[in-house]
Amino acid sequence: MADNHADFIVLGAGPGGYACAFRAADLGHKVVLVDPRATLGGVCLNEGCIPSKALLHAAEIIREARHGNDWGISTGNISVDLDTLRARKDGIVAQLTDGLRGLAKRRKVQTVRGSARFTGTNTLDIDGTAWSFDQAVIAVGSAPVRLPGWPDDPRIWDSTDALDLREVPKRLAIVGGGIIGLEMATVYAALGAQVTVIEFMDQIAPGADAEAVAILRTALEAEGIAIHTGTKVTNVKAAKSELKLMCEGGFAGEIKADAAIQAVGRRANGHLVDPHAAGIDLDERGVIHVDETCRTSVEGIFAIGDVTGNPMLAHRATHQGHVAAEVASGHAAALDTDLIPSVAYTSPELAWVGLTQNQAKERGVAHKVASFPWAASGRNLSSGGGDGLTKLVYCPETSRVLGATIVGRNAGELLAECILAIEMGATLEDIALTVHAHPTLSETVAFSAERALGTLTDL
Amino acid sequence: MNDVIAPPSVRALAREKGIDLQHLAERLGRSSITREDLVSGSSPAKAPAGDTSYWDVEHAAYGPVSEEPTSRFAQVASANLSAANTLIPQVTHHDRAEVSAIEALRAELKPEAQARGIKLTALAFQVKALARALREFPRFNASLSVDGQMLILKDYVHIGIAVDTPHGLMVPVVRNVDRKGLWQIASEIADLAARAGQRKVGPDEMGGASMTITNLGGIGGSAFTPIVNPPEVAILGITRTEIVPQWDGAAFQPVSMVPLDLSYDHRVINGAEAARFTSYLAGLLADPRRIMV
Repeated sequence: MADNHADFIVLGAGPGGYACAFRAADLGHKVVLVDPRATLGGVCLNEGCIPSKALLHAAEIIREARHGNDWGISTGNISVDLDTLRARKDGIVAQLTDGLRGLAKRRKVQTVRGSARFTGTNTLDIDGTAWSFDQAVIAVGSAPVRLPGWPDDPRIWDSTDALDLREVPKRLAIVGGGIIGLEMATVYAALGAQVTVIEFMDQIAPGADAEAVAILRTALEAEGIAIHTGTKVTNVKAAKSELKLMCEGGFAGEIKADAAIQAVGRRANGHLVDPHAAGIDLDERGVIHVDETCRTSVEGIFAIGDVTGNPMLAHRATHQGHVAAEVASGHAAALDTDLIPSVAYTSPELAWVGLTQNQAKERGVAHKVASFPWAASGRNLSSGGGDGLTKLVYCPETSRVLGATIVGRNAGELLAECILAIEMGATLEDIALTVHAHPTLSETVAFSAERALGTLTDL
Repeated sequence: MNDVIAPPSVRALAREKGIDLQHLAERLGRSSITREDLVSGSSPAKAPAGDTSYWDVEHAAYGPVSEEPTSRFAQVASANLSAANTLIPQVTHHDRAEVSAIEALRAELKPEAQARGIKLTALAFQVKALARALREFPRFNASLSVDGQMLILKDYVHIGIAVDTPHGLMVPVVRNVDRKGLWQIASEIADLAARAGQRKVGPDEMGGASMTITNLGGIGGSAFTPIVNPPEVAILGITRTEIVPQWDGAAFQPVSMVPLDLSYDHRVINGAEAARFTSYLAGLLADPRRIMV
């Protein structure tokens, strides 16, 4: 007999888990939210999206200060006090996680600190305490992949360690040129490290538009970041004085570093909850498969977020969290879209959604491309922005927008218009005929559309 | 990505109402769906104006009943029929045609029909004769603009064929009947009817008819009053052919007669025209050679 019973229990308090718990509470459930951390918010808030954005903002301040000379503004030597910066970052995290605690309290969501494992189809063990439940949601997220064969050494970090901001190494090697790796490169390069990014695939930010990525790469290299694509790390030696990374492929040779970050992706945490005990299968990547209503193969148990596989992004998890809560409450909800945006908060930012030009070519989808170079954007030039590009992929027959990629300052914010346009089935004409404020970066979206329609007068 | 264009809120509403957007778009012949489509498409047909509260009866109080939900297909048909019957002033003109010659011709052509693998039905002759009559009486091959300001005369002859299917009445259309031979018409009717039964008639194979024929001859009846299928202005109903005695001046002779019931939109066609049209059509059916000349 279980000691405790939950009407609705959510395992994991990340952006998916807390959104699910809060939505379920709003729909009238008595909700229990379980997480091993002392604070709510999961990886995203505590050691992911939010702290990294704080550090990226600091990097931006440093860069702006350095470029101040171009505008006749000199700031003298820039010095960074790591303790203050770390405290500022931790303060932002604390402010947000405290806020979540308040939101949970207001909804009478019971939070339980601990690690949950299934013991049956409607029973759980949370750190030795038996629980029974009517409905459960697995939202235990993902963890950084550890590369096999690497030595055990405190100078080898994962993204969590990197965000701790213990020190700024003189030479930093980052293995993995995806979004996380590139953001870390941006931060540490600004803080003064000599950064080398090593990416196995032929381009950094694999999967993103090649033309946009080339602009990003040039900008990162201009900040002193060395980038080696098509390169594999074959061996790592932890010598006393330094780390030695043997590489082959695009770059062949040895890279010496004082610290190295492994940023080669994330692995689903499915195994943590022992789903087999509930009759739920895990695939070989630790992923629990769900349908668009977030149901697992077992009635009454849902899964959301990174644990359900790619794309492992907080905003997907949040939407799935709402879907699971609604479906569990008898509503006909579903994650009824393929449009999950990706944003790299690098400098410049890179953001994309829907079909990319490369994908359209590979899949043989009839498409055309509308684009606008930011060198012709008054707002970009007058705010000190560098090179950038807005690019829309559209259907030549209907002129409906199928995908969008933006590289440049604030690309992540600008993308929202494109996502909405695609969701609404908007055509190039719809976008071109929508009055965009001048001068703004958002104009580049309208200009792209006008350019394809032949109505552009700004180029 | 979805092929049907619908904003997220409309997709969510469709899910809530259990409506398949792909299906609905196909039925409406459209690539995009709006909120209004879901609201009108899923609600039962509008009841005619006036008080219908006395229809709302507790049937089970009078004996055992069971309930069967009406399909959306039936609901749409119901709304369209109500509108046609309420908004169009219709008259039905009854006549009959002697079809002994057609019967004889069909019997004569039976071996050839078998050889061709085509059933040369009376309906094929009726469709062909109707096409000829429509060329002779252009006002029957017309539509009234919605505001009633304009009569649109059509320089093509497409005939709709009402087909009884398990999921309801469907009206596939044989195109350019005036330019086609009987064998082809018979074979196209058979093909469309078979596919209508399987619900495999494309949207481009329905609509745009000059006039519709609804033939109940294979089932029975001696007369009925079909409802005009707008935007067409007339519909031809046909019931079972009977052998009736006809006075030839000296004696009664047995002749095959088919009843013709022509319902028409009185705003476009007056009674005399309808009588002349039906009489002309009966003449064609009595002497199929005249259909060809």
